[in-house]
Amino acid sequence: MSATAGARTVPETHCADSEWRPKIVALVCNWCTYTGADMAGTARRTYAPYVRVVRLLCSGRIDPLLILQAFEQGADAVLVSGCHPGDCHYVQGNLYARRRLTVFESLLDFVGLDQRRLHYAWVSASEAVKWSHLVDEVTAKVREAGPLGKWARPAMEAWQPPFELPEPGPEPRPKPGDAESAAITGHLRELAATLLDSEQVKLVIGHTPGSLPGQMVPAFVRSGQETGVLAWNDRCAGNLAVYLPEMVKQAGGRVAVVVKSCDARAVAGLLRENQVRPEDAVLLGVECAGIWHEDRLAARCHSCAEAVSPLADWTLTASGAVEGSVPPQTERATGPDPRSAQLAVLEARPAAERWEFWQREFDRCIRCYACRAVCPLCYCQTCIAEKHSPQWISTAIEGPGNLAWNVTRAMHLAGRCIDCDECARACPADIRLDLLNRAVAGEIADRFGYQTGSDPGLPAPLTTFHPDDPDGFQ
Amino acid sequence: MTGAGWRLSAAEVKEWMEWLLAGGRRVVAPAGDGGLVLFRQVSSAGEVRLEGSAHARWSPKEFLFPRTETLMSYTFDDSNSIRLAPPRPAEMEQVLFGVQPCDAAGLMRLDDVFLGDGDGDQLYADRRRRTAVVSLACAVARPECFCTAVGGAPDGTDGSDAQLLPAPDGYLLRALTPKGRELLGGLDSGWQVTTDKDWAQARAQAERVATEIGRSPLPGDLPGRLIGAFGLPIWSTLAERCLGCGICAYVCPSCSCFDITDQANAYCGTRCRSWDTCTLAGFTRHASGHNPRPDQPSRFRQRVLHKFAYFPLESEGRLMCVGCGRCVALCPVGMDIRSAVDNTATEVST
Repeated sequence: MSATAGARTVPETHCADSEWRPKIVALVCNWCTYTGADMAGTARRTYAPYVRVVRLLCSGRIDPLLILQAFEQGADAVLVSGCHPGDCHYVQGNLYARRRLTVFESLLDFVGLDQRRLHYAWVSASEAVKWSHLVDEVTAKVREAGPLGKWARPAMEAWQPPFELPEPGPEPRPKPGDAESAAITGHLRELAATLLDSEQVKLVIGHTPGSLPGQMVPAFVRSGQETGVLAWNDRCAGNLAVYLPEMVKQAGGRVAVVVKSCDARAVAGLLRENQVRPEDAVLLGVECAGIWHEDRLAARCHSCAEAVSPLADWTLTASGAVEGSVPPQTERATGPDPRSAQLAVLEARPAAERWEFWQREFDRCIRCYACRAVCPLCYCQTCIAEKHSPQWISTAIEGPGNLAWNVTRAMHLAGRCIDCDECARACPADIRLDLLNRAVAGEIADRFGYQTGSDPGLPAPLTTFHPDDPDGFQ
Repeated sequence: MTGAGWRLSAAEVKEWMEWLLAGGRRVVAPAGDGGLVLFRQVSSAGEVRLEGSAHARWSPKEFLFPRTETLMSYTFDDSNSIRLAPPRPAEMEQVLFGVQPCDAAGLMRLDDVFLGDGDGDQLYADRRRRTAVVSLACAVARPECFCTAVGGAPDGTDGSDAQLLPAPDGYLLRALTPKGRELLGGLDSGWQVTTDKDWAQARAQAERVATEIGRSPLPGDLPGRLIGAFGLPIWSTLAERCLGCGICAYVCPSCSCFDITDQANAYCGTRCRSWDTCTLAGFTRHASGHNPRPDQPSRFRQRVLHKFAYFPLESEGRLMCVGCGRCVALCPVGMDIRSAVDNTATEVST
């Protein structure tokens, strides 16, 4: 798939000889580091001459895409530098940047980028000495790492991962019986009919059997007579929250949606981000024993303890429908999350192997954007993948664009992904998007003690900051 | 050529593939890739998965119509003038091996689009000329299969240069074109010749699979009738749950739309042709922001009518769908083009 191979090499016109000289792109804040670097120049300080400085108004303005673009355009390393915490010209831009860039660094580390190629620092306007030392240090590290080569080249056909991701362990609970599903289905139809007939809601979004054996697909029911199509069972994998914002607009009134606890977290996300008003959504929370694909429990369901979402306006169990969120009396059995064991294996491998692993995964990406389409939290009217001037993410379906798309998608969902794994289920190429999302979520939990849950009042972690956030900047 | 052919054991098929590989051809076949089966270039017969019936996640169309290909590249030299470079010359001879009959028929739809009546698309034509197709008849029907509705068959030969058919203890092989004959490279002198009984058995198997698929051919006047469905309100119901991704088009053996973009920096760039699809909102968005297909129902209507009305009306009735059913099987919300066509046809005649 390397149709554009070799097209992106920038001619090295300044080199008289063929010796490799590292290219380092520095994305720096106008108010501190840029002035500091300027001062290093006027003070005639000598330091490694391989840095190309790009001046931005604030480190808070540094989008991870700028870093990806720099690598894509041939940088061997990227250095990001801004004002020390507390010194931001715009009061808090660097504190937002600190959270965002830290998460992005860990994401790139997870996909296997050599960490000698990405550096963050705080350099003030008076720190000309620090700047010159910093550039020397970064240069030494990049020299050690060597030339980047072709960024995100297609995976080698012959490469087989020298490790295996462990298979999920035994299911912590048995598959629910058909009788239970049938009982819930009955109560659901009844409740839906009542809500529609009494005009409490204009529309009910639920599940109905599809045309393939065992398949369940979304259904939209607008009158009490039609509720017979609705059904519930352990194959209702789809996260129907994805339809909510658009359907509320279309229906012009309240919309009821059948939710598992994971789906309800998506609604919480939509409420948090003002995509839906609380009064427009009625959540029909089914008591969910987990989603089964053939005879395996979905990975995310192993550790899920929430049988009914705390956000449910109605709780549907085999014994009936009751108003409010009523969790079952008995605590249900859970087991270790199979994805955690797989993440642990990946994270323990050397970066170069992780890079190879993810290049191979991304090489299968055909850019159908199903991951985006099924994601309830991917609601942008114009996605970054469709912004064409400049073209932030290459539309060529190969290495660099595929990497930029998959990494950017995960980054845009950082602290927002509600762990429904719909992206991974939808992906026709079976790319392990679930692992990417989990890696980012784990990082956010570790660093900021935040888990994307059911509380719409809690701000998403990258839309806020704490002055004492962990700081790995030089 | 029907009736004449050879009986090959699984080992002989492997030997044949090894011979093809040794001859310097690129052999593309279904092979394991990260837990799923995809068409990819193989370096040994051992990698190829033909067991049962080869069923790759998506069709091998990318080996004729790549996901992304360079149309030209350019550099700005020191005097700031532009140097153009043509795309890379066509690759070596390639064999698409173990292709399902529906996928092989899909390649002929690509020919319709990219070759047309005249010279057609040079890049595509070069690649096509160097490509031979060995199909593998289907021994099982999948729930999503419907080739029999759109003019195909489990042992259909459209688009195949040679065909393997699963037999009780190996495969039957028939050469269907001179190109297919060439692929045998004289190895056939060592192979056992088939009997009429072998072919009768193979035919019976295909009939059994066709019965299992259970779909009778769509009526010949369907395209003309479907045109009348353009303005019907049914599309908003049919496409209600469509989320507007591109899975259906990208896994489709016959979908052939693309976008052309420049991948460039200050020094050099390439002009690329990449897959695109009518189901994505941006496909028809104008520079002004106006979008003539403003919603998902109008995009889904385009997909259905292009395949079952517009294209056949311009191409002697050939449907732009070969019934592989991948769009049905892989759609995350269970959109089913079969019922869409059936429902629309019913709606338009009432």
